[in-house]
Amino acid sequence: MGINGFVWSQTIACSGSVQGRILSNDPGEPLPGATVYVRELATGAVADSAGYFRLEKLCAGRYTFVYQYVGYKPFSVPVTIPGDSALVLKPVQLVPDSQTLQEVVVAEHRSEAQQLLQVQNSLSGEALDQTRGQSLGESLKAITGLYSIQTGPSISKPVIHGLYSNRIIILNNGIRQEDQQWGTEHAPQVDQFLASRLTVIKGAASIRYGSDAIGGVILVEPKSMPTQPGIGGEVNVVGASNGGLGVASGMIEGAFANKLAGLSWRLQGTLKRSGYVRTPNYYLQNTSYHETNFSGDLHYDHKRWGAELFYSQFDTKIGLFTGAQVSSLADLYAAIERPEPLVQPGFSYKLGRPYQDVQHDLLKIRAYWHTGRGGELTATYAWQQNQRREYDFISFSGALNPELYLKLISQTVDLVWEHAPIRSKAGGQWSGSVGFNGLTQGNIRQYLFLIPNFRNYGAGLFAIERYAVNRWTLEAGLRYDYRWLRAYFLDEVTKQTYFKTHSWQNANGSLGVAYQLSPDLTLTTTVSTAWRAPNVADLYSNGLHQSAVAYERGNPNLQPEQALNGNLVLAYAGKRLSGEIGVYNNLINNYIYLKPDSVPVIRQRGAFPAYTYTQVRATFRGIDATLTYKLTDHLALTTKNALLFAFNQTDHAYLVFIPPNRSDNSLRYDWAKWGKLSNLYLSMSGLYVARQNRAPAVTTRQENGQIIFTGDFAAPPPAYFLLGAELGCTVQVGSQPMHMSLSGTNLANTVYRDYLNRFRYFADEPGRSFMLRIKLPFSVGKGV
Amino acid sequence: MKRINALAVSVFATLLLTVACNNGEQNVTPTDDNEAITTATLTLTNKANQSEVVTATIENLNTTADFSKATLNLKANTTYTGVITLLDKTKTPTLDATAEIKEKANEHLFVYTPTPSTLLTVTLTDKDTNPAPGPYPIGLTTEIKTGAAGTGKLKVVLRHQPNAKNGQATPGTSDLDTDFTVVVQ
Repeated sequence: MGINGFVWSQTIACSGSVQGRILSNDPGEPLPGATVYVRELATGAVADSAGYFRLEKLCAGRYTFVYQYVGYKPFSVPVTIPGDSALVLKPVQLVPDSQTLQEVVVAEHRSEAQQLLQVQNSLSGEALDQTRGQSLGESLKAITGLYSIQTGPSISKPVIHGLYSNRIIILNNGIRQEDQQWGTEHAPQVDQFLASRLTVIKGAASIRYGSDAIGGVILVEPKSMPTQPGIGGEVNVVGASNGGLGVASGMIEGAFANKLAGLSWRLQGTLKRSGYVRTPNYYLQNTSYHETNFSGDLHYDHKRWGAELFYSQFDTKIGLFTGAQVSSLADLYAAIERPEPLVQPGFSYKLGRPYQDVQHDLLKIRAYWHTGRGGELTATYAWQQNQRREYDFISFSGALNPELYLKLISQTVDLVWEHAPIRSKAGGQWSGSVGFNGLTQGNIRQYLFLIPNFRNYGAGLFAIERYAVNRWTLEAGLRYDYRWLRAYFLDEVTKQTYFKTHSWQNANGSLGVAYQLSPDLTLTTTVSTAWRAPNVADLYSNGLHQSAVAYERGNPNLQPEQALNGNLVLAYAGKRLSGEIGVYNNLINNYIYLKPDSVPVIRQRGAFPAYTYTQVRATFRGIDATLTYKLTDHLALTTKNALLFAFNQTDHAYLVFIPPNRSDNSLRYDWAKWGKLSNLYLSMSGLYVARQNRAPAVTTRQENGQIIFTGDFAAPPPAYFLLGAELGCTVQVGSQPMHMSLSGTNLANTVYRDYLNRFRYFADEPGRSFMLRIKLPFSVGKGV
Repeated sequence: MKRINALAVSVFATLLLTVACNNGEQNVTPTDDNEAITTATLTLTNKANQSEVVTATIENLNTTADFSKATLNLKANTTYTGVITLLDKTKTPTLDATAEIKEKANEHLFVYTPTPSTLLTVTLTDKDTNPAPGPYPIGLTTEIKTGAAGTGKLKVVLRHQPNAKNGQATPGTSDLDTDFTVVVQ
């Protein structure tokens, strides 16, 4: 205890560390149990019995350290961490605060996810800055074991260990994001700039975050609110040569003093615009997109309680590559045959049909109360509205309506009680929480039928308890869920509305053990079960999915998916070598997937392959390995490798859309200082993605003049290798450090296609691109 | 602090009331396809005898497709003038899609493919107004010559080729792709 409370939260890519000591100023006694909290990372550590603390796996950057202890005045100080080195800070002396002998709240500052004994990786600081300007799905690919399913260059959906869509929960600022995530071409409606930390829990994490999280959880965590009076902020500007991408994101925040002490606020907004993306040989017509996002946050913290009001809006219009628009199987095969798209225009920012227009609004109200010895009680209510309009090619009728309109309103209520840590006689510590999650959703559709109107209710109760003693940490969790769904339909003949109702319930559990073999070597293992009730798309889809060239049929008899997930991770944080190796096995009974039917559906536009939702027993097994070796104090080699083996055990066949093996290797050189530049670094990287050989066989045959196909439309594309480079530094502008980086992707302008891109049948992936990123923090009249 | 508290509670309550009472999902709107084609009719008139008219119709193309009246009974070695009519009966009043296609003739092309190819010879007789190297045929009206007696199929494909029409079938996507049965006696 006390060395580092956060050994399980492994921030990859960075290996800076900080050691320090927290003392009382009079007479310089150590303050065991005092806390240091890194505001930008929402992480921290607790001082040991001699007042020492240690923070590991920090990325280079400028941070604010907040030191706190009961009965002492909080003290915050900026700390610059230079590259991947170990920094030893001067001891900090806290001044007693005789006036307000209030309990300082540490729990508020610990992200709850970081306490969970789950396999998790996160991106923050410089590692996150390097992904600014990209979508959430793309930026998460920096984490080993994460992939993305793309629909052209503008739509990217995160994939964890081969699972995606409804099997992943995205927590946007603590709220379960509900944005029609069942759709393969529905990217998460989250502003990546909102996050100061992206944490991914790999593997089933249903106990705390609710049913459905069979694949994992993605936490988008904003920077914590300012506590020191004054106004500050940050401006981010990103530009990319390919697609003419321009992004501007700004944030301004402040905290009040005196009578309004405890009140803090933040406003944030992002503008993004991109034009046609260029492959090495041609432009992709209509791959433009825009994004306009803003959010506002108001916090009030007073003694033992606090409240938060948060509102955000995400608004995007995404053009779909016109060369991928096919209206029948015959068109599709003709398009696959073509080596290049028929229409190859020049560059443009034009955005016409087909496109998606999606708006997501989120309102969150949260209140917490520290009961003192009892612990902390948090209540959260959130309201979300997701409006999705999908426009196909302009029809001959000249209608300006979208082909598909869906409006989903979700409301969630979460009540969590985290009990205060209890010391055991053996010197260990008990900690844990119990809670309730409630959800209701209403969906309204218009125009074409893809999924029906529905109402659903969900309720869950959970309890998680942890016991940490010496080198051991044990965790056990239990959860019970109830789900109710009613789908509404219209009888086309009688024009009467009728409905169908389903309800499911399930109990799940998890067990986890972590053992510290040595101060720098930790072994963690977890076993958990998780379930997912079939969603409305699985049950009642019935329509032509034009962009997928598929006729999808739901199956009202589906049973819930039940998963058994095991993980084993060995993490090492040595002086020269650091990293982690994890193996996982996820067995899913009743795994729901779209199985191709043998007979195609004939409609006005011709023959379409038909798919029906079917259940099989599936396994997802794999290895994630991330290692960094410091060749010298300045030069480090990092290798990230992910292997995945997925199999349909019922039919003894491979599953479609499973990420191929990949290996990402980089070499990085750091200069602490070079003239007026600090934190200067240069890195070169090479990404190798293997061909997916474990894919269903592609066969087609003619039967009665119809094309009957199985498996997939085309064989997986060949393996590819991409070169990248990045140069970054910090320049002092006035009193503020300005971070700049210039990166190049696909430097060799390699022509390649990616198996997980749904448009791989039609066009190549983007060619070479250079990206410039600038981040400038600012402060206005910062108080003392 | 009290004020904020009260504000939070009132916002919470208002939202809960307004949203919880909204049962919009129980009002189901009928399915509406902007671009449905329910009915395709081929009308062939014997050039030598104008009173001899043969029609074949495919109904419910957007759903289950009814081919029961989709057979063209033609005479061998005869020349017919053909007209195709496409309707969208899901709209009220029924939408005449052929009129819309005529209006946007510069981006539409009908492709007629008989099997076996000796069964019929189809010539498109109308032209769009595309600039040079156009104009190109449209295919709303045709001349169909029958060969020797036999049976087979006539595939009718409507290609939608916005900004890409070049007289070939390749560009664009299919708005219609269906088969009429042909009996030549």
